Amino acid sequence: MAHDGQALVLQTRGLRKRFGGVQAVNGVDLAVPPGDLRAIIGPNGAGKTTLFNLITGDLAHDTGHIYFGGEEVSGLPPHRLCRRGMGRTFQITSIFRRLTALENVQTAFLSHHRRHFNILVPARRLYRDQALALLERVGLREQAGKPSGILAHGDQRRLELAIALAGTPRLLLLDEPTAGMAPQERHEIMALVARIAGDTGLTVVFTEHDMDVVFAVARRITVMHQGAVLAEGPPADVRANTDVQRVYLGQPVPR
Amino acid sequence: MSPARWLGFLIVVLAVAPLVLPPFFLQLLTEIAIVGLFATAFNLLMGFGGMVSFGHAAYFALGAYTAALLVKRAGVPLLLALPASPIVAAAGALLFGFFIVRLSHTYFAMLSLAFAQIVFTVIFKWKALTGGDDGLLDVWPPSMLKSPAAYYYFTLAIVGLSILALRAIVDSPFGYALKAVRENPRRARYIGIDVRRHQLAAFVISGAFSGLAGGLFAFYNGSVFPDFAYFTKSFEPLVVALLGGVQSFYGPLAGAFGFKILEWLVSRQWPVYWPLFLGSIVVVVIVLLPSGFVGLVGGRVWRTTAKP
Repeated sequence: MAHDGQALVLQTRGLRKRFGGVQAVNGVDLAVPPGDLRAIIGPNGAGKTTLFNLITGDLAHDTGHIYFGGEEVSGLPPHRLCRRGMGRTFQITSIFRRLTALENVQTAFLSHHRRHFNILVPARRLYRDQALALLERVGLREQAGKPSGILAHGDQRRLELAIALAGTPRLLLLDEPTAGMAPQERHEIMALVARIAGDTGLTVVFTEHDMDVVFAVARRITVMHQGAVLAEGPPADVRANTDVQRVYLGQPVPR
Repeated sequence: MSPARWLGFLIVVLAVAPLVLPPFFLQLLTEIAIVGLFATAFNLLMGFGGMVSFGHAAYFALGAYTAALLVKRAGVPLLLALPASPIVAAAGALLFGFFIVRLSHTYFAMLSLAFAQIVFTVIFKWKALTGGDDGLLDVWPPSMLKSPAAYYYFTLAIVGLSILALRAIVDSPFGYALKAVRENPRRARYIGIDVRRHQLAAFVISGAFSGLAGGLFAFYNGSVFPDFAYFTKSFEPLVVALLGGVQSFYGPLAGAFGFKILEWLVSRQWPVYWPLFLGSIVVVVIVLLPSGFVGLVGGRVWRTTAKP
């Protein structure tokens, strides 16, 4: 255990990543307890997505440690992290475009149940009901049979959420889950995430540019600036933090 | 007609063919079946895995030479030699594929081509074993399978079972995951799939069935030659699959039929102009008919994945 006291779902210590002359992530210590609904905010280039990519194994960090469920997971490839219960969505929608919405989610279930090497049975009916139930939950039941590539942008984001949830993760990392959505839909989808997290005890970490959304759903907020953590705390504290206000161009941003 | 009726119709036509067709056409149909299996195995990678191999002749040749060597040098009967073809080809695909799947796109294609050229060179130079440029002659099936009709039925049965097996693989959880890898490797990793391992498994399966096609071809041809492994042979399943339609499971079979019939029609009149004709056909199909011959038929029957 890398932390005293309470078991953390996710912890980073002194995480650093440099791209050429840019210190994208500069010594980030993050501690996410179970059930947290954590927003990571910060101006463009603050290092949010890089931090995500380090945590999820997409990028190798230069120094520091990453603990998931108390175990060091530095250097593990994405598919192993996923097997350990880490789910994610990407900033740019990442789905299986020529498969139907149903097949997208079914494939995620098949893999989660480690049946993806099975060549002996037809996959068509496997986990079909579970996949349909999950699509229902994210509001895509009617779209199940459609090729996912033709779905509306917002529906594709919902589908990606369903794909990630099919792996029944302990920790779900959402990189700007509402990017490109209308304000109304942003609130809907984040309310949905909050509801699912509440129902299942899932821990969620997300980045988001829309401060309305952040302050509506986040339990705690981590503010990043120039690759480091500038402030962290419950929404009210972050809102009152003068450093945060200064970073956001001196405006009392969090309304 | 429904798919089941089409299939029934096809089986009846193929079953009675030997009663009405002269031996030449039975041999042509036999070759179509073998090429169709080779192209379908190839298309497991290209159409379903999104991996374009420029070196599948390696596995075809490994299968052909395995069967021929066992018969010629060890006196093993066909029924034991033929099953060895896919096994040896799979072993070759596992060895080469281990390195090939580490690369993608053009590099994947070029490394697969390089390994095939290595296989070609080994066959060409190792005269003591393979006969080098002279090949291995008199690789005939036993007398009971020697007539064109008998070998036709034999080939048809094995190709038919292989196609069913490949179809089952495509429709299995493994096939779903393979399509996921094709569509989006990054996302596939994040549903827990080890992308390289999955690609390698598909590569080995594809290599095994290519080797089986090679083994069948050895006995059909009665001889094996180094150019079975040459790069021109590697392009055969690529062209056949493109003509038939790579988006469809049955496209490569339709492609093999069209390819071989056209080749026969054109080459008997103007043998010199076949490559020119083939080139023109490929251009026309790619430009006007991106889903291949099966695109002419259309409908859900042929489609293997939802359209984008």
